[in-house]
Amino acid sequence: MLTIKDCRLVWPDFTADYSLSVENGTLCAIVGPSGGGKTTLLHMIAGFETPDSGELTFDGQDLRPLSPAARPTSIVFQDHNLFPHLTASENVSLGLRASLRLTAEERTLVADTMEAVGLHRLGHRKPGEMSGGQRQRMALARALISRKPLILLDEPFSSLDPSLRRDMILLVDDMRRSRPVTILMTIHTPDEVADLADQMAFVADGRVVASGLPAEIMQGPWVYRHRPESAG
Amino acid sequence: MKLPHPGSLVALAIVALVAGGFIALASVDGGKPALLSIGPYLVRVLLFSLVQASLSTILSLLFGIGVALALARRHFPGREVVLSVLGTTMVMPSIVAVLAVLSVYGRNGWLADGIRALGWTGDFSIFGYPGILIAHVFLNAPFVARIVLDGLHVVPAEQWRLAAALGFTPGQTFRHLDWPVLRAEVPGLAGLVFLLCFKSFAIVLALGGGPSRATLEVAIYEALKIELDFSRAAWLAFIQVAICLSITIVLNWTFTRPPVTTTSRPPAPRPDRVHRGLRVFDAGVLLMSAAFIVPLLLSVLAGARYAVEILDTDLAAAFVVSVAIATVAATISCLLAVALGAAARRHRLALRSPRVAALYDLLPNMLLAVPPFALTAGLFLIMRKFVDPAMAGFVLLPLINGLGALPFAYRSIAPRQLLAGERYGRLSDSLGLSGMTKFRLMDWPLLRRPFAAAFALSMALSFGDFGIVALFGGTELRTLPYLLYERLGAYRLDEASAVGLLILFTAFCLAHVSGRMSYADD
Repeated sequence: MLTIKDCRLVWPDFTADYSLSVENGTLCAIVGPSGGGKTTLLHMIAGFETPDSGELTFDGQDLRPLSPAARPTSIVFQDHNLFPHLTASENVSLGLRASLRLTAEERTLVADTMEAVGLHRLGHRKPGEMSGGQRQRMALARALISRKPLILLDEPFSSLDPSLRRDMILLVDDMRRSRPVTILMTIHTPDEVADLADQMAFVADGRVVASGLPAEIMQGPWVYRHRPESAG
Repeated sequence: MKLPHPGSLVALAIVALVAGGFIALASVDGGKPALLSIGPYLVRVLLFSLVQASLSTILSLLFGIGVALALARRHFPGREVVLSVLGTTMVMPSIVAVLAVLSVYGRNGWLADGIRALGWTGDFSIFGYPGILIAHVFLNAPFVARIVLDGLHVVPAEQWRLAAALGFTPGQTFRHLDWPVLRAEVPGLAGLVFLLCFKSFAIVLALGGGPSRATLEVAIYEALKIELDFSRAAWLAFIQVAICLSITIVLNWTFTRPPVTTTSRPPAPRPDRVHRGLRVFDAGVLLMSAAFIVPLLLSVLAGARYAVEILDTDLAAAFVVSVAIATVAATISCLLAVALGAAARRHRLALRSPRVAALYDLLPNMLLAVPPFALTAGLFLIMRKFVDPAMAGFVLLPLINGLGALPFAYRSIAPRQLLAGERYGRLSDSLGLSGMTKFRLMDWPLLRRPFAAAFALSMALSFGDFGIVALFGGTELRTLPYLLYERLGAYRLDEASAVGLLILFTAFCLAHVSGRMSYADD
């Protein structure tokens, strides 16, 4: 279980204070207005931001002293997930070994994972030769192959068109059903994950304003308060 | 009949000017084929030019890349000052670099004085390879460091975070994040530094130590000024153009940056910054660089002590002449850049002929290959029929300096012109805008800052230039760099350092203005 309790981060122009619990095996959608602190929350869990105070644990283990590489997390960003000079296979292999020196077994695992995301024929291609959707599939494959139990998806599909975005969300849903993994995913359009997510957290002004079942959160007043058309 | 585009006329005029100058130079002695007679001399000059340029390039790259990586990994008080110094060294006049090298490493320089104070009685000379290499590395390594550092900053923050999340070692960080940037930047950068060192004039003239150490540029100068052998100058110029043009064309096709990636995320720290071994290595690199650069800079700054002693009418006149020439040169280079940029944009957007547009892009860079002395001499031979030869310098100096600064002005101005066309071209066409109205409403709002930046940079380059003024300089026409050269020649090092400081200060101020204009938002 992921537990975040009163984790506080302070910058000159922004203060965040998060509390949230996510059960193992859950797909948790993080929604909220732009600049509200969704990405900061994921970066804190991944180890890119260090809270000044509070508790941050996963299955009872304190994550705060751990470096990003030592944490049980794997992250996928909206862009720039791949190294442009490496092939698709090599980019995915980085999730196993940063040295890229793989055993025969590991090479098979890479091929299987590529197949699972539908990219088995494109292993030799460089990211520049692939579409946006294919690139994000590769990034997902790399996150999956690392066998880390907590996957963080930082608006991974927001640059894709709506139909492709839905396909990718279904792919994420398939993955978490095929193996025990907890997924936290920030997303701009809550409607697209409402039927698949087990939990939804609404983040605004650096706080988790509400957390619960997607249907409850979608009906809540905070969603309307932060819609752009209601501003002003 | 429809009039050609002004940019096309400008391109034609530049080509005609260069071709005319060379034809005039080559035909002044009836075009005698003198190449065979200068064979052994030519081989010696070529060999020296190639060896010194290669060594200077290798040393500048090693030094510059080491400093860039160390600065990318380290943050310390005063880092911003170091970065701004690196950014402005490209306008450091080469004659000032000569002064700095002589002041620190010369026979009576700081180093020799220091060693003598320890009881050493021997003698050593900085002239020849040591002095040339030190001066070239002093001028070029900071420039390399700045460009490489800018390239490293293009790596998106997400990839640094990914490297941290994947637990990259320093070696893996270098392989997957630094090396792709270096591989993209270094070939072009190496070509550019090689070209600058291959064409080096003031440094080789002052620190070469004799006629056996001459680049083609110095050989052309000597043929024109000392031996009055125009035919030899023409041959040497053709050979230099052939070599430099080949390098320039290769540079033009190979110098491709990786696609500029943008990210809205704040910058992420590098994961290898905490590695203990790298900390020691970086500290060593930065300390060694400081030990090399700081004394040379201080030797120029030491000129402040003699500032009062050099205040005379010669200095004031030279300053006014330098400013006037730099202003005219900057005006020429910026106006030519705007005209060529407009023509390139027209071919790229309206006529959909990117290959022709690429030729317009290539033209300013090709000027880097043209030896200014040969071009000046050729134009002088044409002009002397119409203009008083004593006044020719006042016309040719700003013209040649303006053409010399054109590649840099074009690089600043043309991309923004293209951007203005892409953003507002269709709108202005639909509104029926044309001519100056179109320029004022569509181009100028986006262009004014890069124009100002290019103007200041062109002024800085011209202000500190000690090139063809060596041909025309004298009591009639004396710029500040020429005054500095005279003081150096008379071994009046204290006065020379004060003049050098004035040149450096003015050039740095102009470069600073240029940098501020380049980075400011519209």
